[in-house]
Amino acid sequence: MPQSTDLLQGTLDLLILQTLALEPMHGWGVAQRIQQLSKDVLQIGQGSLYPALHRLEYKGWIRSEWQTTENNRRAKYYRLTQTGKKQLATELATWDRLSLAIAAVLGQATEASS
Amino acid sequence: MISELLTRLRFLIFRKRCRELDEEIEFHLKQAITTRIAAGMDPAEARRRALIEFGGIEPTREQCERQRPGWWIGTVMQDVHYAFRGFGRNPLFTLSVLITLALGIGATTAVFSVVDRILFRPLPYAEPSRIVSLGFVHPLERQEFVMGRFYVEWQKDQTPFSALAAQSTGVQNCDLVENDPMPLNCISFQASFLPLFGISPVLGRNFLPEEDRPNGPAVVMISYGLWKVHYNGDPHILDRMINVDGRPVRVVGVLPKDFQFPTLEAADIISPFAFDPAIQQTVNGGFGYPMRLFARLKPGVSVAQAYAQMQPLFNGDLKWFPPSAKSETRLSIRTLRDRETQDARPVAWVLFGFVLAVLMIACANVAGLMMARGAGRQRELAVRSAIGASRGRLIRQALTEAFVLSFAGCLAGLAIAKALVLVFVRLAPTGIPFVSKAHLDLRIGLFAALISCLCAVIFGIATALQKPRLAALNAKMSMSRNHAFLRRSLVTTQIAISIILLSGAALLLRSFTKIEKQNLGIQTDGVLAVKVAVPRLRYNTNQKVMDFYLRLESSLRRLPGTRAVGMTDSIPPGGWQDGFRLSDLHVQGKPPIPPGTGGTVVGRSVTPDYFRGLNIPIMRGRNFADQDRTGDEREVILSRLLAERLFPGEDPIGKRFLPGAHVSGAGAIVVGVADNVKNSGLTEQSEPEMYTLRRSVSDDWGGNHLMVIVDSAMPVTAIEPWVRSEVSSIDHTIPVEMEPLNESLNRLADRPRFETTLLGFFALTGLLLAIVGLYGLIAFMTTQRSHEIGVRMALGATRANILRLIAKDGLRMVLVGSAVGLGIALATSHMLKTLLFQVSVYDPLTYILVPLLLSLVALVAILIPARAGTRVEPAVTLRAE
Repeated sequence: MPQSTDLLQGTLDLLILQTLALEPMHGWGVAQRIQQLSKDVLQIGQGSLYPALHRLEYKGWIRSEWQTTENNRRAKYYRLTQTGKKQLATELATWDRLSLAIAAVLGQATEASS
Repeated sequence: MISELLTRLRFLIFRKRCRELDEEIEFHLKQAITTRIAAGMDPAEARRRALIEFGGIEPTREQCERQRPGWWIGTVMQDVHYAFRGFGRNPLFTLSVLITLALGIGATTAVFSVVDRILFRPLPYAEPSRIVSLGFVHPLERQEFVMGRFYVEWQKDQTPFSALAAQSTGVQNCDLVENDPMPLNCISFQASFLPLFGISPVLGRNFLPEEDRPNGPAVVMISYGLWKVHYNGDPHILDRMINVDGRPVRVVGVLPKDFQFPTLEAADIISPFAFDPAIQQTVNGGFGYPMRLFARLKPGVSVAQAYAQMQPLFNGDLKWFPPSAKSETRLSIRTLRDRETQDARPVAWVLFGFVLAVLMIACANVAGLMMARGAGRQRELAVRSAIGASRGRLIRQALTEAFVLSFAGCLAGLAIAKALVLVFVRLAPTGIPFVSKAHLDLRIGLFAALISCLCAVIFGIATALQKPRLAALNAKMSMSRNHAFLRRSLVTTQIAISIILLSGAALLLRSFTKIEKQNLGIQTDGVLAVKVAVPRLRYNTNQKVMDFYLRLESSLRRLPGTRAVGMTDSIPPGGWQDGFRLSDLHVQGKPPIPPGTGGTVVGRSVTPDYFRGLNIPIMRGRNFADQDRTGDEREVILSRLLAERLFPGEDPIGKRFLPGAHVSGAGAIVVGVADNVKNSGLTEQSEPEMYTLRRSVSDDWGGNHLMVIVDSAMPVTAIEPWVRSEVSSIDHTIPVEMEPLNESLNRLADRPRFETTLLGFFALTGLLLAIVGLYGLIAFMTTQRSHEIGVRMALGATRANILRLIAKDGLRMVLVGSAVGLGIALATSHMLKTLLFQVSVYDPLTYILVPLLLSLVALVAILIPARAGTRVEPAVTLRAE
């Protein structure tokens, strides 16, 4: 298993929103999905997942409801709200800008050192 | 944005139930276990691994809880609850903190409610800082006034003001004639007056321009008080005709309830000023009538700029003045606040400073108490910290306790303030403006809340900064070095502040005793001042007035025990008195005195018995004689000061004054020189004085001011009813006012007495609090050191050794505090200068006695707990280990 990377502050929210944008999901599902998509690089500690979910819910970006899973179990599903969608768009834009900037800085740094 | 807010609000109100979260976590775990079992793991092992991977369930729960908006409110409530429980366990501590705080906050709030109106509160006008009072001032009239002639020119040529408005010089007596005439105060102002101040009538309207001109329609506005009380707030008062001084006038408006004349006078009926420019060029020697003038500065123009712009106009006006007035008249432009508060501001600042200092001492005391309690709670804090309370949380807890305490102190303080304000208003002399209006309102309440928050921060921080040390868990409690240093500095500061307060109050007390003890030059024991309000309606000629007074004089003389009955237009040393310029006097055979030099002279028109009644010795020449009263010659008596100034090295007796502004007829002859009398109030430099004989000639009985002084061998209270009946036997409708001269003199000293009492009270309160603080600290430290003392005594130290050890510590604080306090007191005492009479701000006696007194009291406060400390039984303290 590759070494898991610590999540950048604030990126957890983005990841959750992005995951939920595909389909409504329960907490376990969100964690699994992120882990799978990142090829096990990103492992989310449950200690931070649930507080994050609750925080997003309090902010009104996601909404929760109890549903039955395919295994006939009751689980709490989170879905993105309208505000959440808008927020995701802004956060994605911010992320793009940020990663481009970082890439640019790192790229220059590499050139300078070589 | 709004939806987000609503969501937050929804969650704030409907808290998510814990059960839901538990279920969610449980689902998560089950999923994890199922996945692991599906991957072929043993169920027990799968469960174990899943739980490990999940980490702490309880922290997660807490973390989720913390995401809830408004989560912190709950913890604050917890803290408050905890604070209350702590206070309940320690009622003595809580009570002493509360009393100290309530006293400090109460006194500060009460004083603030008094000085607020003088120093801070905006005057009740629109943009009050842009309004000024302007005009001439000269030594005989220190409040700005302007003569009509110049007002006409100023209106035309002035540049710095956007509006000007005149008011009559002051209120005048007038009668509201209905069935019986009701005496009221009347005043008049221009139609532009109310708009300038940004005031509109509460009912009806302001004067119209056509009403504010000569011979305009007879209209008036009335005061809110008159409307409410006399007319019962009749809504149909408008357009009603009322009769003022026999003239029917129509009411067009009612002034607002809180309207305050810029001269702070109380007027009931206001008529249009009806300024007539044409008349002003002719009346009063071409000067026009005097009036008060107010103006609004144009935006961006400062008072100094306005002064500079008005100066050329003023210089042009000066050429019209008689030479005597020219050099003494100045242009004056003052902000309205300066005009209204007059000289009350230095007192207000000193008072406010004093009470703030007392509050600081109180705060320091509370901080000391809290820290002592904190030292006792170190173990508790260490336990809380050990079981996971963060440092931030502990600090917040300490601050919460401080705020709870100061909030309670604030409430109690407001109650004390309410009582204190009543006392202030009671005590306050009439001379200080606004004091009688002081009361608690929202603004004052906010101030009280603000200072209590400030206090809470000050003493809350002091306790919050005590670090809980894990060592405290197992070690015996002991006061940390930092803590001791902080408390010592607090007490030292308190002592320093007390020294400052005490020396200020002592200076004032010294000044006050000087005022009381000074030689006034008159004797007032057993002298009664009688004021008879002769109605001008029936006594409409000077002859009638004179006849009345002469009859009164002779009937009073017949009373048993009467030694002298004198009549005068004024009584020194204060109140109204006639005055003129020295340069108005022209001595026969001497060159005229250059105009504008020599200052002013007090003039008094008296009968011969005036000198006997007040026991003013005649130094040279003779007193007026009774036969002079019927003679043709006009005699005058000079005060020693005036005689020395006019006739240095000469004998003034027999010298003559030529007729002039103050000497009428054929001139006057000097017959005597009387000793000097204090005549410009209690604290001002006395002025030279000239007594003119009030002859039994009707010409000498004009003017509004007449007083009778009765010097009697009988007690004053006994002759009062006799005087009353004598007056009513001549004319029973005339009201009489009388007062023993001693009492009116006493009233003159009201203001310094008020200042001294108040400042003395605060200084003593400060001293008391500081001494309590010192006592508390020494007692606390002695208890803390009881173990050490026990060891010392076991090793052979005597009680005297121990006493010296503890006392030295306390005395060091007293000495350092006194030295610092003295330094600051000496550096700041010049602020008291205007309040002091014949006492230097560096009065050596004060600065020697005050530290001595304080050291003495402090010594007692040190020795009592220190002695208790020496009674330690070594065996007991050592065994307590």
